[in-house]
Amino acid sequence: MSVKKKFKGLSDKAVAWLFIGPSVFLLLAINIYPLIYAIRMSFTNFYANKIGREPQFVGLKNYIKVLNKEAIWEKMQVTANFMFWTLLLQAVIGLGLALLLNRKFKGNELLTTLIVLPMMLSPAVVGVFWTYLYNPQVGLFNYVVNFFHDFGSFDMIGSSVLAPWSIVIVDTWMWTPFTMLICLAGLRSVPNYLYEAAEVDRASKWQQFIYITLPSVLPFLLLALLFRGIENFKMFDMVVELTSGGPGSATELASINLKREAFEKWKTGYSSAFAVILFVTIFGFGNVYVKVMNKIKER
Amino acid sequence: MDTSRSYLEPSSFSKKLAATIIIVYTVITLIPISWMVMTSFKNVNSAISYPPEVFFEPSLEGYVNLFTNRSRQSQEYLDSLPPPENWYEELVRSREMVITGPSKFLGRYSNSMIIGFGSTFASVFLGALAAYAFSRFRVPLKDDLLFFILSTRMFPPIAVAVPIFIMYRKLGLGDTHLGMIILYTVVNLSLAVWLLKGFMDEIPKEYEEAAMIDGYSRLQAFFKVVLPQAMTGIAATAIFCMIFSWNEYAFAVLLTQFNAQTAPPFIPTIIGEGGLDWPAIGAGTTLFLLPVMIFTIILRKHLLRGITFGAVRK
Repeated sequence: MSVKKKFKGLSDKAVAWLFIGPSVFLLLAINIYPLIYAIRMSFTNFYANKIGREPQFVGLKNYIKVLNKEAIWEKMQVTANFMFWTLLLQAVIGLGLALLLNRKFKGNELLTTLIVLPMMLSPAVVGVFWTYLYNPQVGLFNYVVNFFHDFGSFDMIGSSVLAPWSIVIVDTWMWTPFTMLICLAGLRSVPNYLYEAAEVDRASKWQQFIYITLPSVLPFLLLALLFRGIENFKMFDMVVELTSGGPGSATELASINLKREAFEKWKTGYSSAFAVILFVTIFGFGNVYVKVMNKIKER
Repeated sequence: MDTSRSYLEPSSFSKKLAATIIIVYTVITLIPISWMVMTSFKNVNSAISYPPEVFFEPSLEGYVNLFTNRSRQSQEYLDSLPPPENWYEELVRSREMVITGPSKFLGRYSNSMIIGFGSTFASVFLGALAAYAFSRFRVPLKDDLLFFILSTRMFPPIAVAVPIFIMYRKLGLGDTHLGMIILYTVVNLSLAVWLLKGFMDEIPKEYEEAAMIDGYSRLQAFFKVVLPQAMTGIAATAIFCMIFSWNEYAFAVLLTQFNAQTAPPFIPTIIGEGGLDWPAIGAGTTLFLLPVMIFTIILRKHLLRGITFGAVRK
């Protein structure tokens, strides 16, 4: 028997569409339409600042141009390097902190909140104030480093060797709490009876860690890294304000280059092709990653 | 000796060690933020002294510089002026400058407020409606729709910024509050739907069914029974949406310029004479970050739950 007939007002079906409709419409208009528009533009020689000119269809020319450009591969390398180090550091430090916090000492809730603070801040504003900390003449960071070992004067942002590390340090400072929180949630989900059973079987603490703790927290860690990976692949705001891609193009991540092509040179067609390539890359990697993650979870 | 301790509890030594390491990490991680707050109370000279000054004479110069525009004047001109009327004018005069008017900071800050609150309200409201429908009704292609909603978060903002820029120019929404509110609403919508669906799932169906048997329509039951029950979840979701809108930079810097620009693209442009005015930037940063920090500390339980939510529920 159908339940809805008994009650007054709109039918459940009408309510369902009324409730979902506006959200789906907005997502289509502001998210999907622009994406389709970008894909269409990627096959043309459109320049968004030249309003009068009709864009012409150029086929795959933009894509070929992007993929053949040496500089693009350099940006991809910079991005990959940034992602590798940030994810590695955030995984190790985040998991470490989570394991320590899971010891449930007094006051650990307050400390967790304080540790989380950096990730709540505006990345662009964080980028600005780190330029002050990294200042080669008066920066606190430089002072502290030189306090422990005197390297003399060095410029984290101005040197092409150090600049990639400057963004890795800031990103790690900001986002390690995220991996930490997800890992902590994972650790808290491990049922106590597993450890009790292990204790009965006389497993050592180390064995318990390797065979119980690590496997249960791993899926959570991998998930945190997926989120961070997607975010850092798109990374723009913090790095723009900190190094603006420099010096030269030492920290010019793919998305910073994309912004230059799209909003400074106004090569809309070309930059759309680049954007589509980036999107397909992240989507592809994301999919493979999720498959691997699920395999690990099943075991 | 403490005999109540189960053998699963970590020993008190290992607890102390863990606590020590965590406290050291907390202190280190808070240094950059504290340093910026301290800088905001320094004067221009003490902000650029080396070695960095930990103890200094506090000054409100940074805050005065943040809120005013000033111009440098000759000593003769300053002497010819009537005496300063208030403390901040006196402070500026002591630097051989006069105040020429208020700066843009207050306008940018209130833009951040308007756009932040507007988009948060809209995305939580729309998100709650959609979340309820996904939670209670049999919606065709439900999983596909939910995944579609989530996948919109993967687009790099710059990939869609050009089409949105063109679209907004045509619709007259470019550089307007309404345009930015709509944009941030949509960006937040996917998170709002996902978070709120989890909270709605936890509210027993029987509540609204009981109300409907008492003669409420489905809509009345939703607004009068379900929404009040979901208040915790709504609060948590609202904080996330607010923090995102408050902190957002890429769209703001690309799509706004004069009218609807928010604070994050503005703060980096605060420039003093001969280089960046660090106390003023510190002051802007402090005022901008303060609401988020207070929110985080007050509402920590909701926030921490929200962050780990997606992961725990899968």
